[in-house]
Amino acid sequence: MGGKLPTQTYHQIDKDKADFEYLRNKLKIKQLETVERFKEKHPRVHKYLTEKSIDLGKIREHSAKIIGAGALTSTLLISPPSEVKIFPPPAELIEKLKVAGGTLPLQGLQKFVVDNIQNILPERTRPLTTGEEKYLEQVFHQATGINVKANLEGEHLNTTYGLIGAEQHLVRYPGDTLNQHGKGEAIKEGMAPGKGAWGYFANSRSSLTPSLENTEKWYGVVQTLYLPDWNTRQPYLRDWYKYRKILIVNTNNGNAVVAAIADSGPAAWTGKSFGGSPEVMEYLGGSKYKKGPVVVLFVDDPENKIPLGPVEYNKISLPDMAYLKT
Amino acid sequence: MSKIFYDKIIILENIEKEINSRVQTEEEKDELWQIVDEIVHHKVFGCIMDNLPQKYHHEFIEKFKKAPHDESLFDYLKEKIGKNMEELIKLEIGDLAFEILQDIEGNKKK
Repeated sequence: MGGKLPTQTYHQIDKDKADFEYLRNKLKIKQLETVERFKEKHPRVHKYLTEKSIDLGKIREHSAKIIGAGALTSTLLISPPSEVKIFPPPAELIEKLKVAGGTLPLQGLQKFVVDNIQNILPERTRPLTTGEEKYLEQVFHQATGINVKANLEGEHLNTTYGLIGAEQHLVRYPGDTLNQHGKGEAIKEGMAPGKGAWGYFANSRSSLTPSLENTEKWYGVVQTLYLPDWNTRQPYLRDWYKYRKILIVNTNNGNAVVAAIADSGPAAWTGKSFGGSPEVMEYLGGSKYKKGPVVVLFVDDPENKIPLGPVEYNKISLPDMAYLKT
Repeated sequence: MSKIFYDKIIILENIEKEINSRVQTEEEKDELWQIVDEIVHHKVFGCIMDNLPQKYHHEFIEKFKKAPHDESLFDYLKEKIGKNMEELIKLEIGDLAFEILQDIEGNKKK
């Protein structure tokens, strides 16, 4: 079936549009009120900001320019994150991992990884240093067999360590409905009314391949909209990030998922840096898991061999060691 | 990276949910997110200027302009204000969330 006739849906279109316009108008009024109140209360500050060409409405663009121009490096050199921990060289940990792999029960290996990454991660989520990222890349590669990179082909996420939040299912094709995404817990979060940042996954139900179905099931969300060069390097970046594989690791329990990037967000004012589909979140932390710290790295998989979905430490052969002893 | 030093303490998840549940396209979502972003920046700046002694206003703006992402600006504010600015901003944003949600709730009840 090709869905409902336009004559059956135009009322809904009008309602959706009205809903958006109503919300837009309400927020616009709030915005104008807030800006005016600021100007009235702090006229000298407003004047000084204007003289300095600082527009608070465009402060994120200003920040992106500064950081993009390399200012971050110098700032970090001047004031390095105070909570950077000193960690052993990756080789040392890898050696321990090999030993642990040979002696610990399989779940013990996951715990061993968690304990070690928690030793190097800061207490509060923040962008990691290159050294910290390199360390994690090697740990995860050795523990899961998956080749991961914080910087892949010159691209880097806003942050590799941040909070992930629960997302809804995405509309996969025109006419898609929630109950076609599964049953019970899998559809508890509902389905977003609009399309994801890359639009429909397929033009119709019949053209939705099992691979695309799996992509929606195991999708992740990253803040592409806040990348400093997002607007200037189009369409390259848009294509590069579409369905790009990422490894998401819950740093509290070590549960890990390979996901495909299929939406952009969350908003900067949510405190979160990433999002996960209902299935991703369920695997990372269980049915009640809504938010938590994760490490996110690109999966370097040029031959498309790494499947989307859960990474089970005991299902992937560790490189250079046979830890499954029977 | 586009980051402002107070990003981590601004938590308006319910407003994000409201927006995401009413938009049909990425463009609509971006537009509304941008409006909220501008509201937040003015609210936070207003809160800082309300508490920071006037003689430090220009100095703070200079520092902010140079490195808007630098979280050590909180240390500067704490030193000059003598209060925990993070908590004050959280309270301000909590009020803002309440106001916005009240404003937009009206349409839902219809």
